[in-house]
Amino acid sequence: MKRLLPCTLICSLALAVSAADKPPIPEKLAALLTATNDTGQPVITGEQRTYFDGLNDHITALLSNATETEIITRADHLASILALGLRPQKMEVLLQDNCVLCHTDPEVQKPETLFSLSPPTGSNSHLNLRHVVDDVHFARGLSCSGCHGGDPASDKLEHTHVKEWPATGRYKNRAWVLSFCARCHSDPVFMNRFNPALPTDQLAKYKDSPHGKLLIETKDPRAPDCLSCHGVHGIRTAKNPLSTVNPKRVHETCAACHANPSTMAGFKTPDGSPMPTNQVAEYRASVHGRALLERGDLGAPTCNKCHGNHAAMPVGLSSVSQSCSLCHAANASLFDGSKHKIAFEEHKWPQCAKCHGNHGIGKTHDAMLSGGPRSLCVECHQQYAKDNPACTATAEYFYASITHMNEGWNRFGAAAEHLAIRGLDVEPIHDKLNELADTVKQARSHIHSFSKNSFDQVAAPGNKAVQEISALVDNANSEYRFRQLGLAGSIVLIALLMTAVYFKLRRLER
Amino acid sequence: MSDHGHERSGLRGWLDRRYQITPLIEFLRHKEVPKGPHSMVWYYLGGTTTFFFMVQVLTGVLLLMYYQPGEATAYESMRYLTTKVPFGWLMRSIHCWSAHLMIISLVAHMFSTMMLKAYRPPRELTWVTGYIMFALTLGFGFSGYLLPWNKLAFFATSVGTDLVKSVPVAGDWLLHVLRGGPDVTANTLYRFFALHVVILPLLFVGLIAIHLLFVQRQGMAPPLGQKVAPRGMKFFPSFALRDLLLWLFCLMILLVLSVFLPYGPGIPGMEWELGEKADPFEPAFPGIKPEWYFLWEYQLLKEFPPHLFGLEGPQVCLLVVTLLLAVWAIIPWLDRQAARNEPSSGFSDFGWGAIVFLTFLTLKAWDIGGLESVDSPASLKVIARTCAWWTLGLGVIVIIVRFVFYLDRWFIFTGAALLHVALHGLVGLSYLTAGAIAASLAAAAVGIRILSARKTRASLGGVV
Repeated sequence: MKRLLPCTLICSLALAVSAADKPPIPEKLAALLTATNDTGQPVITGEQRTYFDGLNDHITALLSNATETEIITRADHLASILALGLRPQKMEVLLQDNCVLCHTDPEVQKPETLFSLSPPTGSNSHLNLRHVVDDVHFARGLSCSGCHGGDPASDKLEHTHVKEWPATGRYKNRAWVLSFCARCHSDPVFMNRFNPALPTDQLAKYKDSPHGKLLIETKDPRAPDCLSCHGVHGIRTAKNPLSTVNPKRVHETCAACHANPSTMAGFKTPDGSPMPTNQVAEYRASVHGRALLERGDLGAPTCNKCHGNHAAMPVGLSSVSQSCSLCHAANASLFDGSKHKIAFEEHKWPQCAKCHGNHGIGKTHDAMLSGGPRSLCVECHQQYAKDNPACTATAEYFYASITHMNEGWNRFGAAAEHLAIRGLDVEPIHDKLNELADTVKQARSHIHSFSKNSFDQVAAPGNKAVQEISALVDNANSEYRFRQLGLAGSIVLIALLMTAVYFKLRRLER
Repeated sequence: MSDHGHERSGLRGWLDRRYQITPLIEFLRHKEVPKGPHSMVWYYLGGTTTFFFMVQVLTGVLLLMYYQPGEATAYESMRYLTTKVPFGWLMRSIHCWSAHLMIISLVAHMFSTMMLKAYRPPRELTWVTGYIMFALTLGFGFSGYLLPWNKLAFFATSVGTDLVKSVPVAGDWLLHVLRGGPDVTANTLYRFFALHVVILPLLFVGLIAIHLLFVQRQGMAPPLGQKVAPRGMKFFPSFALRDLLLWLFCLMILLVLSVFLPYGPGIPGMEWELGEKADPFEPAFPGIKPEWYFLWEYQLLKEFPPHLFGLEGPQVCLLVVTLLLAVWAIIPWLDRQAARNEPSSGFSDFGWGAIVFLTFLTLKAWDIGGLESVDSPASLKVIARTCAWWTLGLGVIVIIVRFVFYLDRWFIFTGAALLHVALHGLVGLSYLTAGAIAASLAAAAVGIRILSARKTRASLGGVV
């Protein structure tokens, strides 16, 4: 208690001094802060008031200035600004921008021009104030006037849309959007001020892409422009999970058009067939889709990883393995050096996609190599390489080898578990099992060489490992039998000794 | 010296001339173990505890030949011992099994002494030395647990030693002394190693010697109500051979368990698979629990709120436990009826109450009946209910057996412990509220009983 008293006094004094340092809240602002609604409830909520009390003097002065100049005259207007809960830098940008201040005032704006945190249902989604303040451009100090023109410091009502904005027909032909965004995004010197790592060749790529040609040359209203993928207000960096171009949301953005049969009607694939609209559905169910969307594995590809971003285009027949090799480098390299590459080119088959599919790539299984009904090799070879039974034999050899190793891994893995529970040393078995698992992985990859010799080079250590593990498991089982035998012998000896003691006792007590 | 006035020949004579062993042999020859109406089996539990302790010493010495204390060597040397050294696995397995069996045997020995009132005068100090040995045995368990320096041991020791902080005033200092620093490090390992293989064994052997000396000087306690057993059993050879027979049986069981279950029975708090090496930089994994004989205290700590009566919850818990253990230590002086060699059902009931109390907490610590998310409020309720039913079942059986076969009429403590269990597990009151109600009722009942007994005695005195 003796220590507490001086502490309390010092703290109270410090609080009193700091409170005395804070300038008083100007009358108009104070009135808005304490205003009540029709039901007598304060308009500014406790949370908003706490946020206000935490603002620094500079921001408080800016707010005060807005109330003194009567840009903010209503408590609900002030509440909508405080409710944003912006950090000081962003709040400073907002309070110095008369465009935002005016367009958030419910008294002077019509519903179609009023920005609020919860725009009425059915209104333009661009009117969401949260989107505006979360926009990457706003965060870097680029507010309304950056795109719409005008002077944000002026309190006079004037709109001088930048000259790149067409006076009429802005929605009919949206090609102007490209050059409009490119004013900044194609200027390396300008962009360097904000994000030196961001490329500035988006427009050049886009122009050469089917999307770009469709918009610029064909003037098709269905063609996407920058805003179609990135949004209007509320543009976020690709790293932001809310961004429409975040890896986990790219498929939704693409699906907005590509999964819509009416939008895609009339478009053809390179082979002339109608453009399908099930790619995204297939992708979601594929190994890649599940890895990214269910497991959150950001290394898994989404649409743009194979098709590109601004230069998005179909993956050409000869470039399929190049796309896949971005991740599956070893398999692609083996395929490129195999006889199959030439054969596939002759048949104009899309390399990896021929066996694995494209958007709906499923989990591979060893039975693809077998002679059974799920076999891919046999199916193709019976049709196109009937005269070469050695090829079918090679596939079956691959299947037999991998199955042998895999079965060994499963069987001995279970045996090692049992032995470990019995207290045997299973570390050498686990080491060999890990070696075998690596070999099985490599062997599965090496089937893409379609060469028995190449496959054997990696599979041979695996077959040897199976034999070694088998010997280790046998040894461990023998050791366990020895332990049991030793125990049985010990029990017999102890039992004999106990019998002797028992008879001795009986003899003594008779 | 002579047996009947003449000198013996041979080795016995040779020893006798030098060390005068004849009086000792004569003492042992005439030594008797009292027989009574109860089973003789309770007299053997001290012997089995000693047997398991001897196994511990023997296997401990063999383990010591390979074990190297130290952050970089402790785990590795244990791994080497159990995987590469011939029969190293068996030595460790026997050491661990024997440790648990020793504690089981010791607990049974202590409770049998309690129920038979063998602690009554003049054997108070035999009880106290036994009590200290019980504490030392728990110390053996706690210090030995850390020595393999594996993950489980490391975190269990971190959590376990952390409790010392709750000791008022000197808590932080004690923790520092125990750990050899603020955290569990190699210094803690060295300390625990020294404790486990030098300090505790020296103290324990000294106490065994005193304990046995007391037993030899005073003989084994005769059954209550008899000053001297009417009919005794010769210690040599009858009792000693029976002891040997039981030891051999214990050895057999120990070997079977060690070979077939080398890492323990798989019950939480009774498993000793080496697992992975301790990594002090890893966060402690959830649900870590101590050995089974500390589970009751672990659970009791969980039942206390963070703050109670202006103190920290663990501090209050530690205070309660210290009080209970202190009462347990001075029972020979509290039990006046047994001191008068009269039946003392109240203290037997106190012993059974303690068993019910410990059983319920231990069952709860095992999460018996727990749902998938064990720590959810719904699961905790189900655990409390399931454990309550089990404990109530056990308690009712005990009461019936005591009532019918032992004609006991004292059930205040057992009843209070069962009421506590029922109020908490079945009615849903908090553990402490239920405990406070049960303890108040028990105190009132004991008070009334003592007062009425005094009145009866006074009126009898008046009549006389």
